[in-house]
Amino acid sequence: MTKEIWVLSEKESLQAELLGAARFLAEGLGGTTAALVNGPAARGDAAFRQGADKVYHLGESAEHMMEDFLPSLVQAVQQYQPAAVLLGATWSGKALAGRLAAVLHRSVVTDVKKFAVQHGQIEATHLILGGGAVRVERTLAEPLIATLGLGVFEALPARAEAKGEVVALSFVQPQTRWVLRERKPKPPASVNLAAAKKVVCPGRGVQKQEDLQMMFELAQLLGAEVGATRPLCEGLDWLPRERYIGVSGAFVKPDLYLGIGVSGQVQHTVGITQSRVVAAINKDEEAPIFQQSDYGIVGDLYQIVPALIRALQARR
Amino acid sequence: MNIIVCYKFVPDPEDMQVKPDGKISFEGAEWIISDYDLMAIETAVRLVETHGGKVTALSAGPQQLSSSKGKKDVLSRGPDELVLVVDEAMQTADTHQTAQVLAAAIRKMGEFDLVLFGEGSADLYFQQVGLQVGELLGVPVVNAVSKVSVENGRLVVERSTEEDVQVLETSLPAALAVTTDICQPRLPSMKEILKAGKKPVTEWSLADLGLNVHALRSSEVLAVRPPDQVERKRIKLSGEPDQVVQQLLNYLSKEGVL
Repeated sequence: MTKEIWVLSEKESLQAELLGAARFLAEGLGGTTAALVNGPAARGDAAFRQGADKVYHLGESAEHMMEDFLPSLVQAVQQYQPAAVLLGATWSGKALAGRLAAVLHRSVVTDVKKFAVQHGQIEATHLILGGGAVRVERTLAEPLIATLGLGVFEALPARAEAKGEVVALSFVQPQTRWVLRERKPKPPASVNLAAAKKVVCPGRGVQKQEDLQMMFELAQLLGAEVGATRPLCEGLDWLPRERYIGVSGAFVKPDLYLGIGVSGQVQHTVGITQSRVVAAINKDEEAPIFQQSDYGIVGDLYQIVPALIRALQARR
Repeated sequence: MNIIVCYKFVPDPEDMQVKPDGKISFEGAEWIISDYDLMAIETAVRLVETHGGKVTALSAGPQQLSSSKGKKDVLSRGPDELVLVVDEAMQTADTHQTAQVLAAAIRKMGEFDLVLFGEGSADLYFQQVGLQVGELLGVPVVNAVSKVSVENGRLVVERSTEEDVQVLETSLPAALAVTTDICQPRLPSMKEILKAGKKPVTEWSLADLGLNVHALRSSEVLAVRPPDQVERKRIKLSGEPDQVVQQLLNYLSKEGVL
C-alpha cells in the first residue's frame, strides 16, 4: 500500500505549508500526500492546487467546531493508516493532535522545524526548553503525529488545474461535546510585532513602569514597535501580553532589534534570532545578550537611552 | 466542586547551561513549579472559593518533586491536598507517558468535577498533556481557556483562539488547559505558608498505579543539542554615553537599519 502523508489545518495558508512538508516526506518515503478538509467543495480544490494528491472530505457542517471531527479523524486514520498526520499548530490543531494521539496511544511531536527521512523512517527536529535546545525524535510506530507552525515550511508552487480523488468520510458523532454558544470578536490587537521592521525591547533592567515612557519615545523616534521580555508582560503586567517576545509569545524578524536592559535568557532570545541586526544596551558586561548581539553598549540604560533620544532628535 | 489541578515541577529554565561539548545541563538548578501552572492553581482555588468544594494538586515527576520545599510551595498557594506520583522514569517521560500516569492517578483518586492544567510546561512547552489526559479520561477537554465559570451546574468557558473568542459550554466533569492571562496568581500569605505543612500529602509510585511507563513509549529521542547559533558581530562599545550612542548610530546607519 502506498504510504500517505496527511495534512489538516483549518487555515488555508497553513495548509499550503503543511502540504510542502508533506510532499518532502512523501518523496522520501515513496508515498503520496492527502489533505483532510471540511466545508464547501472549494476547500478541496484549494488543497489540490496547493499540492494534495488526494482529498478526504470530513463534511460540510458549518456548525461544527474543528474538534468535533476528532472521532471521524480517528476512524479514518484506523481505516487508511497514513504514515503521518501533520496538523497546523493553531489552538485547534494542537487540541486535535493531542486528543488524536491519546486515542492512538502515542506522543505528539510539537512545533517541528525540520524533517528528514532516514532508512524509511521519519525524523523530526523540534524546539525544547523554550528554544534553548533542539531535539531530534523518531516515532516508533506509525502514524507520526506532528504539529507545524506557520512560516516554518515552504508552500509548493500553486498548480492551477490540479484535480484528484475526493474521498468522503462519514461523520462520527462525538461522545463528548462542547456547545458553541457564540463567537465574540477578540479585543483588537494594539501591536503586530511579527510584522515590525524595527523593535525596541525593554527588559527587566527597567526599574519602574513610568520608565517605559522613554522606551516609547525612543521607539517613536526610530519608527519602531515596542516589544518586551516576559516579566514585563506577565508578572509585572506593565505591558499587554501581545508585546511579549519569546517562547510563548511573539517571534520577531525585524531589520533592527534593540534590547534595553535585556539579559538575554534563551526563553526570550529564541524569539529574536531572525532579526537582521541585533543591538543591546546592558550595564552588565557579562550579560548573555552581548553574545547574541551585533552591537552592544555596556552602560546604564538610564544614561544611554536619554543620550540616544537626544542624538536621534539632533539627526532629524 | 471537586477540582484537581495538575502541575509540573521543573528545573528552573534560567539555570540551564550549555556545556562545552554541546550537552545541555541542569546541574545545580533550582527546581520550581512550572510558572504557567500557577495560573491553573489560582483558577482552581478561586472556583472553590466561589462554589465551595476542594482543590487537590497533582503532579508526577522524579525525586525532586517530593522535596519538602516543593510540597510546601504548592500547598501554600491554596490547594487542600496534594497527590504525587514519584518515579525516576518520569524524568524522561514523553507527553503520552505523562498523560497516562496522570490519568491513572486521577482514576485512583476517584470522583472529580474538573481537572485543570496550565498552558504548557516551562521547560518543554509542548502544550499537550492536558489535552491527552482529558481524552484518556473520556471527558470534554479544551485548551486556550481565558475565562471559566460554572452556571447551573454547567461549565462555561471562553476560549481565545487566533481568530476570535469562542464561548463554549459543556457538562461536568471536564478538563481544561488555561492561558497565562486567565488570572494573576496571588502570593502565598504567611498564614498559608504555615498551614501548608499540615495539609495531607499522598505519594504513589508507578507500581501503585499498576503502570509500566517504558511500555508506553512511542518515540525515541535521537539527539538533543543547542540550536544553531546565528553568527553575530559582537562589537561592544563602552565609554561616555553621548559618544557610544554616536558610535552605535553610525554602525546602524552603515547597516542601513536606521
